Amino acid sequence: MKLSKAAAKASEGCLDCHREPDDPLKFPDGSKLSVAIDAKAYKASAHGAKLGCQDCHRSISDHPHPKVGARNARAYRVAASEMCKRCHYAYYTRSLDGIHFKQLASGNGKAPTCIDCHDAHRMRSPRKVRAEIPKRCASCHEKVSKVYALSVHGKALARASSAKDVPSCTDCHGAHRNLDPKTQGARAKVHELCGKCHSDKKRMKRYGLSANVYSTYLDDFHGRSNALYARGAGKAKKPMASCVSCHGVHDIRRFKEPGQKHALRARVLTVCKKCHEKATPNFADAWLSHYQPTLASAPLVWLVDWAYKLLVPFIISALVLHILLHLYRLRRRKSSVRRSS
Amino acid sequence: MNKPPKIVTREDGTVMVERFSPIRRVEHTLAMVTFVVLVLTGFPQSLRGDVSLWIMNLFGGLDAMRRVHRIAGIVFCAHAGAHLLSIVIGIVTGRMRPTLLPTPQDLRDAWHNLLYYLGFRERGPELPKFDYRQKFEYIGLILGGMVMVFSGLILMFPMQAAQLLPGQLIPAAAVAHSKEAVLALLVLVIWHVYSVTLSPEVFPLDRTIFSGYIDKEELKERHTLEYRRIFGDEGLEEAIEEAVEKAPETSDEAKTSTDSARNGSATQNDPSGAI
Repeated sequence: MKLSKAAAKASEGCLDCHREPDDPLKFPDGSKLSVAIDAKAYKASAHGAKLGCQDCHRSISDHPHPKVGARNARAYRVAASEMCKRCHYAYYTRSLDGIHFKQLASGNGKAPTCIDCHDAHRMRSPRKVRAEIPKRCASCHEKVSKVYALSVHGKALARASSAKDVPSCTDCHGAHRNLDPKTQGARAKVHELCGKCHSDKKRMKRYGLSANVYSTYLDDFHGRSNALYARGAGKAKKPMASCVSCHGVHDIRRFKEPGQKHALRARVLTVCKKCHEKATPNFADAWLSHYQPTLASAPLVWLVDWAYKLLVPFIISALVLHILLHLYRLRRRKSSVRRSS
Repeated sequence: MNKPPKIVTREDGTVMVERFSPIRRVEHTLAMVTFVVLVLTGFPQSLRGDVSLWIMNLFGGLDAMRRVHRIAGIVFCAHAGAHLLSIVIGIVTGRMRPTLLPTPQDLRDAWHNLLYYLGFRERGPELPKFDYRQKFEYIGLILGGMVMVFSGLILMFPMQAAQLLPGQLIPAAAVAHSKEAVLALLVLVIWHVYSVTLSPEVFPLDRTIFSGYIDKEELKERHTLEYRRIFGDEGLEEAIEEAVEKAPETSDEAKTSTDSARNGSATQNDPSGAI
């Protein structure tokens, strides 16, 4: 789709007035809304080369404009967001399931609509400005954004803003259908979210991380249980540790500080104690820190594992052989009896 | 038991010898029930298929199923403890013979039997009340049961276990618990089910553990030493001759009757035909 010459010309007409700052819209409650347009920024936006003013502002075709019905500036912006769904219907319906729309519907006028996050006249493809995303969220979620900025994910995003594989806010929370992460269902499922990236070998290799962390979690009691709850095996009576229980949510840091084995074990014990108050250093040693057990890292586990890997096939094949020989003997006896009679 | 076993004669004239006392029959049934419950509630915890999920929801979810598993596990622990205690007391006081204790003779029996199966010997070994196969299974159950009891207790009380033992024992117990479970299930399904139901010698079912009694003739054939212990050498000479007899034309009338009977039943019980 491309902007037609006629539409471009019409839009130029609008800009004759709207380029000038500023004769803002005034609302009955005294609030104001600027109607000035930065033409250059608009042209550079995702819509710039495609849409003219009236493609969105359909009710305005003449001067003077029809009277605005909104009670205040905020109500005007919320109503204006309804324009987007004419084209972006799928995103619109998804947002109806999101927590922001629910907040809006329940009367929180501050909850964001389309143009609060995407902007009305400077929208850019969020894929091209990934580093911008946390800043957008920060305009409301200021505190948590600061925490995120200091985390491994926040720092990596700041370092390489074009990297598509560093999670920003929306990668975990969703952009339009963002659900409440505090529900029990979300807790049991959060490992799937982390696991999506952290079990991806290629992606993890790029950052020098192990891709075994997810499978080792799922092999452990906590992971095994959460995977079953997530698949519908009832509700967990007590919350079961997931990735975020030990690593944190927005404040995720490197767990392992190089060369400080002792400090690492102490840290493991601290996170165990979050749920298991009486945990001792011995108890914390039960956690193998996402490593596949080896003779060096966990000799006892490794030995038990190998003992059974040898014992089971040996015993079972001996038993099967014994059965087969028994049947062979019975057949021979039968045929010799048959010959005799 | 050291007192002579009960011997009863059925209406049709077959003589039955008591092999399992009532308490052992009850024990077998209890072990059967706990084993099935433990397998049903245990395996879905470590297998990731949809069947696991389905079974889990029959019990009302993972938590409810784990509760059933732990209760059944405690019943098994109590049973195992009581069983071993009764055996120790029985043997110390001299009221029981250690009939299930493996001896060097069992190794010789196994070797002898192997040669017999391969055709290097004319006859199998004369076997005691419990032969080496049955002893293997019993001792396997006791040792495997102990692995399950101790690893299960560690997994059930990890915090308390870590106060006494190194923490690495907890993941080691988890590995042992699931691998030993696989071994136990395979031995049961392949070996025990073959020995007591599918083997042409006992098909369709060896009822001894339920009725408690074994046919005197069967005892003579399969546990000859025990037969000798109870009945002396009575009737054994012919049996031995009969077995040594190298079939063809020498077969006399007296023997053909038993032989053809055995032959007939063997044909009837051919497993391939039965399935």
